[in-house]
Amino acid sequence: MTFFSGRRLVLGSLALLCAGGLSIMPAHAAQNTKQFIEGFGKQLVAIVNSPVSLPEKKEKVMPLIQKNVDIDAIGRYCLGRYWKLATPAQQKEYLELFHQVLVNAITDKLGDYRGVSFTIGSVTKSGEDEAVEATLLRPQQPPATMQWIVNSATGSEKVVDVIGEGASLRLTQRQDYSSYIARNGGSVDALISALKRQIAHHTAAATQN
Amino acid sequence: MRLRPCGQAQDGQTRAGFSAYRRLISRSSFVALSALTLAGCSGLRTPPPKDPDALAEYKQANDPYEPLNRKIYNVTMTFDKWALRPVAKAYVWSVPRPVRNSLGNMITTMNEPSVFFNDVGAGKPRRAGDAFVRWCINMSVGIGGLIDVAKMAGYPHHDNDGGLTLANWGIPSGPYLFLPMGPSSFRDGIGYGIDQGLSPWNYVPRGYGLVSFNWAYNMLAIVQGRSAHLDELDALQRDALDPYATIRSAYQQQRKAQIEALKNDHRATVPLWYHVKNEQQG
Repeated sequence: MTFFSGRRLVLGSLALLCAGGLSIMPAHAAQNTKQFIEGFGKQLVAIVNSPVSLPEKKEKVMPLIQKNVDIDAIGRYCLGRYWKLATPAQQKEYLELFHQVLVNAITDKLGDYRGVSFTIGSVTKSGEDEAVEATLLRPQQPPATMQWIVNSATGSEKVVDVIGEGASLRLTQRQDYSSYIARNGGSVDALISALKRQIAHHTAAATQN
Repeated sequence: MRLRPCGQAQDGQTRAGFSAYRRLISRSSFVALSALTLAGCSGLRTPPPKDPDALAEYKQANDPYEPLNRKIYNVTMTFDKWALRPVAKAYVWSVPRPVRNSLGNMITTMNEPSVFFNDVGAGKPRRAGDAFVRWCINMSVGIGGLIDVAKMAGYPHHDNDGGLTLANWGIPSGPYLFLPMGPSSFRDGIGYGIDQGLSPWNYVPRGYGLVSFNWAYNMLAIVQGRSAHLDELDALQRDALDPYATIRSAYQQQRKAQIEALKNDHRATVPLWYHVKNEQQG
């Protein structure tokens, strides 16, 4: 039959191969993302549950966060439309402060938990990123389900957001910052000095304890 | 946080003569309130900004009554700081966790009729069935809701309220509102009113101490609800630069997620244990 001429067959099988490859590739990526979150989560939980003191835990967690969380990307996202309006110097200073604020926010949580475990659920596509469902189990408390948003555009997987009870942390933070800036005459410097104050308060509170 | 106004809490003897007077008062106060709202709106409404980026932000926040909302927010938070939070802290300090959990179960169970009617209204018969079964099991075997037996039997609690039902009907949220009982919107505020109407506890007859029980139940629900969020709200007020905007953002996202979850809930008629049993047999 002319219908199955050689070229058609080749083209057809090529197309099939491509389609097959396309459908396999996301599944492969999802598997990687799942493994990434599993690995990151295991390391985090190991530190949280370890019998060392809180300052020691914080010290151990810091490099883990720096490695697995794309803090710069989150910082840029949180500044929203003011990122473009900020001068390069302001951007640089803001990102440095944002690093500290984010790390503080995470390490503050460490003391609250003991005997933690987690389970990983399904991986779904969320725009360009992937969302990994994870359930945190704490003794005597109801399980907390959250979604970790993982981006792998830079080549390696990095966490860019966490969604808990339907609220995205970075979006909530962005609306907090943009409202603060808007209420302070649209000045990014106002945000920068507020972040500085926040960090100073945090260190003061930490040294008091 | 849930507040339940209770119109029945009047003294029975003076009720007949009193009600006409009360109606007059409530009607005139309603007129005064609406006049005040209308007059206030012009000054309490933020005009849309001109800059396109700022306009996009304004639209996303969906909060044209921000000045008014911030005023209510400040009053609410002052009340919280000096009254509700200390009471909730004392409650957590004095009542052991198992007892608090049981009381929490009771409050959840007693809200189940409202969930049931909303599930029916949202056109989700299977969810409604679950709420109904939860109510029956917990009110009997669960000793008035103190023990969540239904959860052990494979009927975990799910939430629903009038705002979600309206959203399921395709009614848009309308502008954001901060009400004395917490963040809300035009739609969710109306939904809150519907929930009050759907709750059988607002129709208890006088006598037998039922009205007192209803009051105690409502106050307990408020304190219990607040005590469940002590750490979160403390952290939010400490860490957020603009707590009002943070609460607004989190609330709006959460409601959106709840609406999505309700729309996508196509649960099976049979409970979980039935599936498990069949799988084991098959």
